[in-house]
Amino acid sequence: MRDIETKSRKSELLIILTIVIASVPMILAFSLLVLSSFSEEMVTNLKSFRPTLENWINLFQGKMAITGSIRVNIFEITLNTLIVALGVAGLVTIVSTLAGYALSRMDFRGRKHVMIALLVLHAFPGVALIVGVYLLYKLTLPQDPDLMRFYSFFYVILARGALEIPMSVWLMKGFFDAIPWEFEWSGIIDGASRITVWRKIMLPLVKPGILAVALFAFIAGWQDIIYVRTFLIDQTLATFIESNIESEFSHMPLIAAAGTLYLLPTIVFFLIAQRILLQGYSGGLKG
Amino acid sequence: MIAVVRIRLENITKEFGDFKALDGIDLEIEEGEFMALLGPSGSGKSTLLYIIAGIYKPTKGRIYFDDGDVTDLPPKDRNVGLVFQNWALYPHMSVFENITFPLELRKVAKGEIRRKVAEVTEMLKIENLLDRYPWQLSGGQQQRVAIARALVKEPDVLLLDEPLSNLDALLRIEVRAELKRLQKKLGITAVYVTHDQAEALAMADRIAVIKDGRLLQVGTPEEIYERPRHKFVGGFIGNPPMNFLNGFADRGILRIGKSTIPLPKEYESVRGEVIVGFRPHDVEIGEGIEGEVYSVEHLGREQIVTVSVEGEMVKVIVPGDRRFEFGDKVRLKPKKIVLFDKKTETAI
Amino acid sequence: MLVMVLIFYLIPLVMTVYLSFTSMKNWNVKYLFDLVGFYNYHRLFYMFQHDPSFKAIVLTTIVFILITLVVNVFGGLGLALGTFFLSDIVGSKFRLLWLLPRIAPIAVYSLVWYYFFHETSIGTLNSILMELGIIHQPIPWGQIIPWGAWSVIIFVNGLVGVSFGMIVFTSALNQIPKELVIAARVDGASAWTISKRILIPLLKWHLLYVLTWQFLSLLTTYCHLFLLVEWNLVNRDYGTTLALYVYNTAFLGGELDQGLAAAVILSVIGVSGGFLTLKLLGFEKMMKRPRGDV
Repeated sequence: MRDIETKSRKSELLIILTIVIASVPMILAFSLLVLSSFSEEMVTNLKSFRPTLENWINLFQGKMAITGSIRVNIFEITLNTLIVALGVAGLVTIVSTLAGYALSRMDFRGRKHVMIALLVLHAFPGVALIVGVYLLYKLTLPQDPDLMRFYSFFYVILARGALEIPMSVWLMKGFFDAIPWEFEWSGIIDGASRITVWRKIMLPLVKPGILAVALFAFIAGWQDIIYVRTFLIDQTLATFIESNIESEFSHMPLIAAAGTLYLLPTIVFFLIAQRILLQGYSGGLKG
Repeated sequence: MIAVVRIRLENITKEFGDFKALDGIDLEIEEGEFMALLGPSGSGKSTLLYIIAGIYKPTKGRIYFDDGDVTDLPPKDRNVGLVFQNWALYPHMSVFENITFPLELRKVAKGEIRRKVAEVTEMLKIENLLDRYPWQLSGGQQQRVAIARALVKEPDVLLLDEPLSNLDALLRIEVRAELKRLQKKLGITAVYVTHDQAEALAMADRIAVIKDGRLLQVGTPEEIYERPRHKFVGGFIGNPPMNFLNGFADRGILRIGKSTIPLPKEYESVRGEVIVGFRPHDVEIGEGIEGEVYSVEHLGREQIVTVSVEGEMVKVIVPGDRRFEFGDKVRLKPKKIVLFDKKTETAI
Repeated sequence: MLVMVLIFYLIPLVMTVYLSFTSMKNWNVKYLFDLVGFYNYHRLFYMFQHDPSFKAIVLTTIVFILITLVVNVFGGLGLALGTFFLSDIVGSKFRLLWLLPRIAPIAVYSLVWYYFFHETSIGTLNSILMELGIIHQPIPWGQIIPWGAWSVIIFVNGLVGVSFGMIVFTSALNQIPKELVIAARVDGASAWTISKRILIPLLKWHLLYVLTWQFLSLLTTYCHLFLLVEWNLVNRDYGTTLALYVYNTAFLGGELDQGLAAAVILSVIGVSGGFLTLKLLGFEKMMKRPRGDV
């Protein structure tokens, strides 16, 4: 906040400098990865940058190495990643919006317990759950190969989504809490059912909340590696990178290209959503 | 004890992006003067105060404290004390800590601090509240603490941003008088922002009326009240506000609707369409402008009679013992009028 | 919604606890009903006392949690305060930048640090230091035990963790009336003084919140460590925390039953920590009013 306009520039510059210095390793490391994807060998020490587009061409053509015939379909892998991400986003958004509303507006027995449970669950070690979840998975896995693949997608989305739900429900509840009762009352007085009120009045008002929840759920699904490698039969970009590091035949800059490809949507998506979110907020606030 | 400072504002303009908050303000505040910045909400008066404080930097123009150019100086180098509308007391600090905070920042010795705090709190009668926390105090008490915090560093200028508006009406009137006394006793130059014209009239040595970022008039309360230089000033000051009617002036005669009244000597040479301003207290009922009684509000000793003249509503203060009925035909004679140019709305 | 909670939390929980009492290894379902009582827990304790690598893991877990916690909380606080005093546009850009570690795909994030800390001369850190003449041979950072490995995992996780505190503290700072800061400025306070005397005291609740929440998170986090250990960037024993140990034994082969015992121990600590947090932060208050503002 520019609190006073006569403040000396010096202190501001000092703060900026400190933050920049702290950010250097991170910026450097990421930049080198992106650079490597455009180089013949991995750019890790600022000297070995030999520009080429070869990696990207190979990546999209599915060639895994300069020699050799190992083929990989990067489009399919990316699509798998997308399916997981969208699935998680959709699931979490729907469940948390419904549950958030219920906890905010409806008084039912055990309400307090549910809320406490949600908070405690969030503190629960995911790693402890994953074992039991996996067991269930193994026990319920269908035998038919096609069905198996479909089921693994389904399961990954459910399992990963379940991890995000406690926090998301809490978040949505907060958004619903912030809306004054009068809005719903006037709707109900006008004769609308609870569901109509929810759909026509509440949802538009909590749009920034829904966007935030969907955004973070999508990112969770897109970035995941643990659940995907544990449950999913197909590959996503995460498992693709995992399985190819330092293996005999893989050409690392190519993997760097895959990594950059994997990273890019995150940044783009986040920047777009940021802008929309900020617009949603600045409606009621003045600096 | 306290250095007394003269403030000069030269052509102050302040823009926030496209919005021009202040436009070419020239103002001089004398040493030890209590200057009120009066205007409606959004007129820019608080912006002007913050520019004097050093929180904002003017887009154009310069500020001088006693011939020294302070325009680029941060607040701490200007030695100003600022009292906010909502007092801005640090909630996690006791009253004592709140007041000593500015002194600690200046690295004043502990003994000195204690002495100054005792002095200031005694003056404001809050010496027994030192251990309390802001949330334990009433509005009036919090306000005194805010003033104490501003005064403890012996500032050259005391700046107050609508400090009384968060107090209830009765307390406000009480504190008004006290603040004025305090300022006179300390002899400190004070700039006081308010939208309440009664407050400004009661407290200030001079009033600067500001509207839409422009300075309309500066003068003593009497000057502002009796000789407004702008229609807005006339209408803003006084309760009930000044009445305005359209009229035509010609050779010493003022024609309003079908009626005519003589013009005072100073307006003899005026010719053309004018706006006629006169205060509700300055009207006699008898001869003069034709009108019809629209409503009557009894206030005990006086009554406010609203009279319809040519479709315009005019308020007249009359002694409470006269009787008026709705629809009564009356004739009004203003004893004192101010004429304003119809186009520019400035006084002729 | 409740059904989901049931399926994905309660049942797995029960199963995990149950399984920890069995002798199941390698997901061989045959052993599902072979209960062995507290045997696994005993083995765990025995291992702690006698198995150096398990000891290392436990030690690593403790050091990791404590130091990363400090880094996360104070880093987040520092970033929030720093960006608070910058103009809104610049400040928010920096905050966005520091969200990158948190939102980046974990595989990419691990890949990036894999190359940064690589033990040969192709490692970015090594090559920079060698260029500057500070060292003459590449250093296998992650393999120096214990502090090399610990530094790497703390660094990598720390960058991810600061964003949580940063977000919480930033939103808290924005709720403080601006007049308090302006009043302090008029009195001559610097940004540092304002932070120390005014802002931080007003953030006490949030500090506690971030501290406890981060503690619980760090207790159970393992995603960002997994690849680092798998790719051998960090020494296995000193780069693994208890949470990662559980995952590894379960899915990379090992003593599944013991891993589960460790998982149960973690859960107990986690859940009791969770309850403690709720009590400390006064969440009771937040829940007593179903309709209304706090």
